[in-house]
Amino acid sequence: MTVAPQLAEPVLDELRGVLGGEHVLTGKAARFNRARVPAPFPVHRWAERVPDLVVLPGSTEEVSEVVRIANAHRIPIVPRDGGTGLTDGAVPLRRGIVVDVKRMNGIVEIDEVNRTCTVGAGISMLKLNEVLAPYGLIYPDDPASYPCSLVGGRIGTSGWSLIGSRYGHSRDLVLSFDFVLPSGKVIHIGDGAGRKLSKSSSGYQLKHLFMGHQGTLGIATQATLKLFPKPEAELSPFFAFSDYDSAYRTVGELARAGVATFAGAVLFDEWKVDYLRRDDEAYIPQPADVRALVCAVAYGYEDEVTAGGRRFMRIAKENGARYLGDEVSEGDWAARHDRYATPLHGRTRAGQVVPMSWHCEDAAVNYSELPQVRLEWHEIVRRLRERFDMFDDWGMFTYTSANTGVDYLTEIDVGIWEQQLDDEAWAAWVQAKRDIAEVSLRYGGSISACHGSCREGEVDLVPQELGGGYDVMLAVKRAIDPNNIMNPGKYGLDRAYDTDDDTDGGTGP
Amino acid sequence: MTETPAEHETEAPPASGGQGGTEEFVQHWRNAAYNCFSSGHKFCREVCPVMQVTRNESWTPTAFHANVVAMEKGELEIADIAEDYVNCTGCGACELRCPNTLFTGDFYRFRTRTVDLVKAVRALAVDNGVHQQGWQRWNLLTDERTHEPVLGDVPVSQEHVRDWSDGLNLPVGGETVLFVDCEAAFYRTSVPRAVAQLLQRADYEFGLMNEQWCCGGPAAEMGYTEQAKRFARHNLDDWRAAGVRRVLVLDPHDYITFTEDYPAYFGDEYDIEIVLVVELLAEMIRDGRLTPSVPVDRTVTYHDPCRLNKRKGIWKEPREVLSAIPGLVFHDVDRVTQWSYCSGGGGGLPVEKPELTARISESRVEKAAGLGVDTLVSACPWSERPLSEAGDARQIDVVDIHELLAESLGIEVGGSRGR
Repeated sequence: MTVAPQLAEPVLDELRGVLGGEHVLTGKAARFNRARVPAPFPVHRWAERVPDLVVLPGSTEEVSEVVRIANAHRIPIVPRDGGTGLTDGAVPLRRGIVVDVKRMNGIVEIDEVNRTCTVGAGISMLKLNEVLAPYGLIYPDDPASYPCSLVGGRIGTSGWSLIGSRYGHSRDLVLSFDFVLPSGKVIHIGDGAGRKLSKSSSGYQLKHLFMGHQGTLGIATQATLKLFPKPEAELSPFFAFSDYDSAYRTVGELARAGVATFAGAVLFDEWKVDYLRRDDEAYIPQPADVRALVCAVAYGYEDEVTAGGRRFMRIAKENGARYLGDEVSEGDWAARHDRYATPLHGRTRAGQVVPMSWHCEDAAVNYSELPQVRLEWHEIVRRLRERFDMFDDWGMFTYTSANTGVDYLTEIDVGIWEQQLDDEAWAAWVQAKRDIAEVSLRYGGSISACHGSCREGEVDLVPQELGGGYDVMLAVKRAIDPNNIMNPGKYGLDRAYDTDDDTDGGTGP
Repeated sequence: MTETPAEHETEAPPASGGQGGTEEFVQHWRNAAYNCFSSGHKFCREVCPVMQVTRNESWTPTAFHANVVAMEKGELEIADIAEDYVNCTGCGACELRCPNTLFTGDFYRFRTRTVDLVKAVRALAVDNGVHQQGWQRWNLLTDERTHEPVLGDVPVSQEHVRDWSDGLNLPVGGETVLFVDCEAAFYRTSVPRAVAQLLQRADYEFGLMNEQWCCGGPAAEMGYTEQAKRFARHNLDDWRAAGVRRVLVLDPHDYITFTEDYPAYFGDEYDIEIVLVVELLAEMIRDGRLTPSVPVDRTVTYHDPCRLNKRKGIWKEPREVLSAIPGLVFHDVDRVTQWSYCSGGGGGLPVEKPELTARISESRVEKAAGLGVDTLVSACPWSERPLSEAGDARQIDVVDIHELLAESLGIEVGGSRGR
């Protein structure tokens, strides 16, 4: 593969001057490995998404210089943090430079008095919490990718947390951050003048604008985060049900109960239970009559968690739950991050085990609409599976998003045998994603509560979801990134640059 | 029953060896690579010692698998990737942290085998004439001298391979022999001296090898498979000629080589019993054959050698030994936590990238320093050189577990600690 003309030697020399030669990677393997995220993609078309260059900056200043150079030469830039996102935010669509911020993983400050820490965007929550543990503190952002996703990527996707019903999600936990704009200018995003304020009424509230930008507005480099006391106790009872409806009712009641230590509840439907049974030596040895599961999660001091837990138990029991016992409950909650990524659960229609990638399609849906959305989503995947044997329905999870139970993150997990994907199957998959998103909108939901919605398929419906807000999004993109260098092609934002005489990308590259 | 994995999908590939051409290699590894490629999130990443200090995603376990997928697609060739595969210590943390291993491993008998994959890619590179300069020279010198050039330009040789045992009156040959790895035999001679004297104290009969060559494990790790097999053949023939039935090893790397590589090379022909000394010593303490009584006034933590804890599941016995030593204040770290700890001294990394080994060792010693200890105990001679260098900067002494046990038995060990 040749390097794009914009990336000829003089530009490389400029970048090497800023970063040092060892942090400017031109090798093929380095570039191929930064073209990929966990979401399945048409692997036979891998080469289409490979960047021309990868840089590994070590500071905000270096990121700023890289972006300034790229802007001057109109070279596309794609930020990459953990690369664990499921909506392709970190996948380059127009080649260019991938700015991989993993080296920026330092801890700048731990402020025990104000309960904050300031860290590089390249640190993972796991590593951060290892450092915070001796202080008796925790940063409670807990995505499925907790062991390897990074703070900067959480900002880029406005990530969702498994225990967000108590602690909030990334947007609530990140107080402020340094952000490199497409011009190379560094701004500080957050409430007020300081780094550590949680609430200000001064000016527009820009933090939310720059949360979930998917790399289209710039690059987060350093963040100040809210910290909490490391919980003394954790309770995660798993309850089994013989039917979905009872489990659904239980989740709603748990969320509405108003227990202060309530950190979240999860509902597994019958497809999900079947999926987990596929390796039941490793999973819960459940009787065949178990059709749905509910897990409630509480964090806090021992005495308050114990009291709240009694209420959970009572609510579940009144709805016909069978408690699965401490050992199963604690074990399965402890394994919560790992169960997502087991390709050997994949099955063809004939029952043959094949390595399938986990693909998660998610939405924000009100509690009242969940049962119907669930049925329609399964039907979409059933039809897809009927036509193509490389897809498998891995069931649905529903998670509380807030402490009152107003809306839920609901996801359908689809196994995809990537080895077998071709253009036809890929097109069918993209259409299925579009259909799934359409159902979410039809029931008053949002296309995504968790990952963002900028992949092929669902992204087509984003203007419909946002309405006039999408025009504002276009105006913001054009104003902040006039040359369309930041992650071009994402979120359909190229249309921000459409003009009468150039409908193919305007001033962008 | 239809719900069983197709054998070709989940069969774990055999240990590396000469893999022939790229096409054959890719066919052999493609499903294993896809099992990683498909595994969504990359939980291996933050436990990888190389990744922890470099933060370079090109050098992650998942990249090592994804490259194979890209090779299958005709996008990458061995020359594009060979250099990246230097950046692995073979510690195996990634394999343990992989959800495939953790959750489907038991059920499908599938364990992600990144360490073997790395060895296989390195072998493919060498087979295709793609060499890493340091490794090529190292293996050339090893071939010339029949031992690794662990003393740099100071020669090591067959005439000197038993020098470490001066004055201990050890016989040559016998049913049981002690195999001493190159680093311990020439550089950190205090370790084999401690081991030999402990065994003598317990009246355990053993001798030394007649003509001992390097075990060949490092050559295999660096991709020089032919040389590794040739050395293995020599050692096995030497054991057979002397009637050896049992080989004692003190070095975790040898333990891997003798229990994994040699059986793969020789199959049924290989019927030598391999005994890890630290397990033997723990048994002797348990049986009352050794009773440590001299207090050792140190505050210590233990560094689980990767090849024991992570790759062989041996973590209890070293702790048994330590807990038997009077006077020690032992600040332990959970062995699972230690999945992400490594000295950086394995997998040929110090030969090609000594500066990277040094950074990994510094990171390991920093974790020890956080526990407020004055001593880091290891059970692996190959970890002790880089850890000692990092420890000097923090006033943390790095001591081998065998040395420490000998001290608590009142044994004057002698020999060199590499200083």
